[in-house]
Parts: sequence; structure tokens; C-alpha cells
Amino acid sequence: MDNFGYIGIFLILSIGFAATMILLPVTLRLLHIVPRKPNPTKYTTYECGMETIGKSQVRFNFRYYYFALLFVIFDIQVVFLYPWAVELSQLKLFGLVAMMVFVLIIMVGFVYAWKKGVLKWK
Amino acid sequence: MDLYLLSPEISLLATALAVILLDLFVKEKWILGWVSVTGVIVSAIFALSLWGRVETSFGGALAVDQFSIFFSLLFLGIAALILISSTEYSRKFAAFRAEYYALVLLATTGMMLLASTRELISIFVALELTGISLYVLAGFLKDAKSSEAGLKYLLLGAVASAVLLYGMALVYGLTGTTYLDEIAAAISSQGILGSPALLMGIVLLVAGFGFKIAAVPFQMWVPDVYEGAPTPVTAYLSVASKAAGFAVILRIFYEALGPASLDWGMIFAVLAAITMTIGNIVALTQKNIKRMLAYSSIAQAGYIMIGLAAFTAEASSAIMFFLACYALTNLGAFIAIIAISNKINSDEIADYSGMVRRAPLFALALALCLISLTGIPPTAGFMAKIYIFSAGVNADLLWLVIIAVINSVISAYYYLRVVRVMFLGEPLSEERVHASSGLRIALAITCLGVLLLGIYPWILMKYSEIAAITFLP
Repeated sequence: MDNFGYIGIFLILSIGFAATMILLPVTLRLLHIVPRKPNPTKYTTYECGMETIGKSQVRFNFRYYYFALLFVIFDIQVVFLYPWAVELSQLKLFGLVAMMVFVLIIMVGFVYAWKKGVLKWK
Repeated sequence: MDLYLLSPEISLLATALAVILLDLFVKEKWILGWVSVTGVIVSAIFALSLWGRVETSFGGALAVDQFSIFFSLLFLGIAALILISSTEYSRKFAAFRAEYYALVLLATTGMMLLASTRELISIFVALELTGISLYVLAGFLKDAKSSEAGLKYLLLGAVASAVLLYGMALVYGLTGTTYLDEIAAAISSQGILGSPALLMGIVLLVAGFGFKIAAVPFQMWVPDVYEGAPTPVTAYLSVASKAAGFAVILRIFYEALGPASLDWGMIFAVLAAITMTIGNIVALTQKNIKRMLAYSSIAQAGYIMIGLAAFTAEASSAIMFFLACYALTNLGAFIAIIAISNKINSDEIADYSGMVRRAPLFALALALCLISLTGIPPTAGFMAKIYIFSAGVNADLLWLVIIAVINSVISAYYYLRVVRVMFLGEPLSEERVHASSGLRIALAITCLGVLLLGIYPWILMKYSEIAAITFLP
């Protein structure tokens, strides 16, 4: 259980840290070290950034999700392609073929999306 | 690395991709179904050619042995029957026919991988490939009930996956490996047997896989999903998904956690007793036939879990035989329901009244399958129950077998009630029920299979016995 002992130490440290951070301002306030000077700005929801205009629940056009999904897929593909490209000289032909299969499967999805008109903004 | 060992899965995946591409560029949509069925047959030929080979590949992550081939062929058979019987039903979602076929093929690929992977991460990837395909299929009708089914299945499935991963992480953390054989070696050599963390991991694994096989108390999703999903998908879920769950449980628990069998044997025994009792008692009051079969499938999972609790080679052979018999029987019942419900547009048992006069063959086939589910000779269900009960008795689980026999008697009431309604009730209309040739062929295959396995069980049992000794000598 030695390895789990480390996890126990981390657990105690993290709980202790969180508790300290929560209790510190309260304690300092009770000891009158921190002055109490409220003003309207301090009570706003966001300390920084713009005030929201209109409703906060904005409806996005659902077509954004199509693009977002396609983006995520190709993003992941690039994540895989980079380390592969760096090591390609050692992976030889097998690495090339394996990656081509992977790209081919994703291309089927891309062709599917294209033909189904996902990329058109009607 | 021998890619030929993976040829059944690769050919099936290629078929799925081909179906998606064909749909985009070909006008004659009717060929899609037949391309899919051909792909399944090609894959089955590859799988048959691998029978008898016991090899591992991909650094030990993939195992091709009789066990994985047995299950691969079972999944392929189920997929072929589902594809044949959905040709007519798929008119309800005509615009997405290709996606439907492709998703069924992808789910089958995932299940075949589930039965043949020997490494926790690969098992999880295969499980997700199966799961995600099935989540989409459950919501395929896009009406209120079907969407509810898809959403519930997705959410609860995601929770189950998370629980499962946590269990895997604990087992990995204790043993330091994700390979099943090395886990078994580590458990017996490093003295972690009986440690609370290992027990926690086992409990979490049971919970995660218990969701897949619909064991109580992880069965909440079953009735709603089975009722809402398109009927062929319900049939697929109830047999293939369950069989895949048992395949992977057999792999992980028999192969990797075998040394800790005293810990999980009792968990499965207690869960089996609860599962079959609750499944059967709740099924008694169901008015919708799909919901009734949902609870019945929960109860059947309880019977199969007797084999898990027994932990002998005989029991794992009995599980495989039971799963094959159950697949034929339940598929037959669902195919008959597809045929009848397509015409009368209802799944209520009351609307099946007098069905024997409107659709004599379908009513007879449904009656045969329900009799087989009850476990009355000369049907496959009877032989399957005898086999698994005797395996339970031989493993000193007499108390569990007694509970199972009592449950079988209870189940006779609700199974035979449907038969009574169909044969003795007054028909609601005189209109005859017709169905496509695909449904007829699929129904004929299942009913003949049910009778054949009921009379000559040895033609399948000898293969399940060969497959069972993969883990236990």
C-alpha cells in the first residue's frame, strides 16, 4: 500500500489547502485585520469583463454544432498526426499504411458530411 | 503481427464504410441491405477459417481462440438475422437506412472485438464502439419514445462506462498491468488477494458490466429503452449486447480475476438470485409485449449469471450454450413481434387477441419462442436451462438453482398468458397479417434453430465445450 500512501498524503494536502484558502479571509476579517468597505462594484456578479446585454441564454444556430463536431474530429486527427510525423522515419512503411487507414476512415466521415450538406450554410 | 487474425473485424468494418459511401453515390438503395448481409457472411467465413487457431497478436492485446470465434460467429449470426428482418421495418426511417445498416455492422465489430481482446484499454475501446453505435440506434425513430430511449441509454451508459473505468483503474493500480493474463499472475503472486482496493475494483467492474447485461440493480434503463427503441434494435440489444457483456465478463473474471473467484463468485450468485426474481415478478404485470420481454430478458440474465457464480469450465460452456439458445429464441420472438406489430401498429398484449386466426404462422412461431423462453421441452430454452442448472448444482450452488427453478415456474405465467391471448382470444379484426419474405426467412431460421437445439443440443454443445476450455482446463 506504499503507493497509495502518496495518494493519501496528496489527499490530506489538497483538503488542507482548500480549507485554508476558504477559512483565511474569514479569520482575517474576524481578527479585524481586513477592513470592511463594501461598494456596489464588489457585489456585481463578475469582477471583471463586460456586463451582459440581453438574455444570458442565447440560442446558437444548430449548424454551429456540425462545424464544431467536424472541427473536433480533425483536431484530434492532427493531434495524432504530429507525433506520427516526427517518428515516421522509424515507423517505416507500416506506420505510413496504419496512418493512411486512419485518415481514410476519417475521410469517409468527411465525405459523408459533405454530401449530406453539412458544410452548406443555408 | 498477423493481420489475418483480425480479418473478420476488418472485413466487417470495411463493409460498414462501404455501405455509408454506397448510400452517397448509388441511387438503388435496396442493395444496401444486401451488401451488409454479404459483408456479414464474408466476415463469418473469415472467422470460420480461424477456428482451431489459438494465437495472440498486437503484443498480446488480441487473442484469437475458440472462445472468441464462437462469440464472433454468434454475433455475426445475430447481426445477419437482424439485418434481414429489418428490410421492411427500415421504411420507417427510409432516409437513414444506410446509417442504420452501418451502425449495426459497427456495433457488431465492437462486440467481436470485445470477445477477443485481452487488455483492459482495448476492452474499453471495443465497449465504447459497441455502446455509441447502440445509443444512436436506440434513438433512431426520432419520435418522443425513441428519443427518450436513446437519451436514457446514452446517459446511463456513460455513467456505467465511468464506473467501469474506475474499476479498471483500481485493478491496474494494484497489479501494474492492463493485460489480463499478467493481472492474474500479479494477483496470485503479490499477495493482494483480499485487499479492500481489489474488492472495490471488482465491485465496480461488476457494476459496469452489470449495466451491459442488465442485471438488477443496474437494470433501470432496460424497460424504457426496449420499449422506445425500434423493434429490430430492441431485439439486437436484448441478445447481442447481452451476449457481448457476458463474453467480456467471462474474459475478465475467468481469465484475469480467476484467483479472486471467492470474492466475486458470491457477488454474482446473490445478484443472480435478485435479478431473476425481480425480473420475473415485475414482468407479471406488464401489458406491453416489448416491456414484458424487457423484464424477461432481465430474468434470463439472472439464469445466465448462475454460470458466472459457478466458475467452472462446465459453467462457462453452459453460459455460451445458453446465450446461443437465448439469442435464437428471443430473436424469433422479436421477429414475430416485428411482423405482427407492423400490421396492427401496437405493442399491447391485448391487441394480440386471436392472432392465431389472423396470422397463424407468426402466432405459432411466437408461441414456440415463448415456450422456449419458459423452458419447456422440446425447445432450445429447455436444454439451455438444464445445462446451466446442472452446472450450478455441480458447483454446490443448489440454493441458487432452487430459486431459479421457482422463478421458471413464475415466468410460465406471463409467457403463456400471451399464448393464451393469441390462441383463445377473439380476434379484433378479420384482416390478415402479411409480412415480407425477409421476415419470413429470418423467422423460419430462428424457429428451426430453436427446435433443432432442443432435440439435438449436441451439435452446438460440443463447440461450446471446446470454446470453454480456453481459460479453464
